[in-house]
Amino acid sequence: MKHNSLRFYLRIYRKILAQDLKSKMSYRADFIISTIGMICTNIAGFVGFWILFRNFPSISGWNYYQMLFLYGFSLISLTPVQCLFDNNWSLRMNVYSGDFIKYCFRPINLFFYYQSEVFDVKGLGQLAFGIGTLVYAWVHLGIAVTPLVILKTVIFLMTASLIMIALQNAAAATCFWIQNSFYVMDLVFKFKSYANYPITIFGRFFRFLFTFVMPIAFIAYYPSLVILQPDNVPVLTWISPLVGCLFFWLSYKYWMYGAMKYSGTGS
Amino acid sequence: MSAMIEIKNVTKEFKVLNRREGLKGSLKDLFSRNYKIVRAVDQISMTVEQGEIVGYLGPNGAGKSTTIKMMTGVLEPTSGEILVGGNVPYRDRTKNAQEIGVVFGQRTQLWWALPLIESFKILKDIYRISDADYDEMLKLYQSLVDIEPLLHKPVRQMSLGQRTLSDILAAFLHNPKIVFLDEPTIGLDVSMKAKIRTLIHALNEKKHTTVILTTHDMGDVDALCRRIVIIDKGKMLYDNDVEHLKRFFGSYRTLKLRIAGDLSERAEAVAKLLPECTVSADDEWISVLVDEEKCKVMHVLTQLQQSFRIRDMQLEEISTEDVIKKIYEEGVK
Repeated sequence: MKHNSLRFYLRIYRKILAQDLKSKMSYRADFIISTIGMICTNIAGFVGFWILFRNFPSISGWNYYQMLFLYGFSLISLTPVQCLFDNNWSLRMNVYSGDFIKYCFRPINLFFYYQSEVFDVKGLGQLAFGIGTLVYAWVHLGIAVTPLVILKTVIFLMTASLIMIALQNAAAATCFWIQNSFYVMDLVFKFKSYANYPITIFGRFFRFLFTFVMPIAFIAYYPSLVILQPDNVPVLTWISPLVGCLFFWLSYKYWMYGAMKYSGTGS
Repeated sequence: MSAMIEIKNVTKEFKVLNRREGLKGSLKDLFSRNYKIVRAVDQISMTVEQGEIVGYLGPNGAGKSTTIKMMTGVLEPTSGEILVGGNVPYRDRTKNAQEIGVVFGQRTQLWWALPLIESFKILKDIYRISDADYDEMLKLYQSLVDIEPLLHKPVRQMSLGQRTLSDILAAFLHNPKIVFLDEPTIGLDVSMKAKIRTLIHALNEKKHTTVILTTHDMGDVDALCRRIVIIDKGKMLYDNDVEHLKRFFGSYRTLKLRIAGDLSERAEAVAKLLPECTVSADDEWISVLVDEEKCKVMHVLTQLQQSFRIRDMQLEEISTEDVIKKIYEEGVK
């Protein structure tokens, strides 16, 4: 098996993942409590949503089911970043304490090795909620199910995930340069919640910001347009899968650049 | 025998911000940055042969970790050449990583939540260890330490000693050419220290693994190293075998005496009598450091007996620790 082949990495990831899940499930109380917590968080999200629509029949021309579609879409597209890249949140602590150096001695890709260490199970619940919401909205909106629509949905879900992952990688990697990168991570995390709304509710400045600078509009809004209002899609949306890949690649390079520059605290 | 590590005139410099004092100074720092260059490692050269255990010593901040980081490929030297097992560590980082093992004192590299055996299995995949080699290594481990109780325990639940032991076993698992051990016995009790020394010694013997050991514990050095390298302030002070070092300073012996009467007063009198020796006194003993090349201990003793009533005496050889302390303080002339 070649050392840098995809199969090699998948095999290692599968092993680490299986072990990680096994050890997590051995803490029953922890597992149950965090599952309950996850369900509550999602229900709270829904309740907020529901109250909003009891008072306003539509938001910027979007009705209840269309908004639910958007919401479900963003829940699903945020799952990979939650499940697979959660260790980014600890990067800051690892770098600060000097523990990050321990990741530098393995003959495999540093970025992969670091991210593989943590798999966040909570994300799977989010995925289930997201799929449920999306299907529910889909049925009520009466969108035809054709192979093409499914393909579009999958491609744009992946695009959205890549963009979110890229944003988080970039935010996390700031810790290689600045001490308190938590605020950067937190900022990105908070902005992400704006992804649940149609971008047209924002002013011109934020529309520009969310499209070009911090492209969270690509997490749910533009991709949803592709399914919901296919005649009304900006050209930019069609190239967004490429942009997603590019963003991910850039964030990866930036992360690795930071990691290589890092020299560890003396010991 | 072939050279495993070759280091030629290696220097590593860091750019450090010159911080000014006080709030005003901090404000100034915000606007004008005043950097200075700090030389952490200064023109170091050495060659390590296969199978050697080299003790790499020096006080805190001497540049030990920086050198290790350069040899493991984490840091790029500012100038000079490093070859580790034929690789340039910084350039061929992944390739180099395949052929070395690293243990960094209290930082475990194992998966925190996993039992040791599961960590081993993942490492087996990462380093692509063949089934035969893996089984052979486990068998060797079983013959050297009581590994059974460790295998199924999550690393998180291990004591520091067990964790260090596990980390060392993990570092040797893929049968690397070179293993770097950075203070492996720090914070451990005496019996655990002994266990770890025996293990390192046995692995080195069985696998002919080259070991670079940094430590502050002279017990480690005496138990494991035939050769030591001492650095201080980034400069190499000494590179030779331990015996040579002892011989170099071995002409010194300390004579400890108990004499009737007030000790500090007596110590002054002794010093007057023996101008060629260094005399000091504490609450219990008067210590006389004798350089045997100038005068023999026996001669000193006879001389003292004529003037004082000696109640008790001890003779101490100078220990490796004292020697190194002396080198730190005075340098090798």
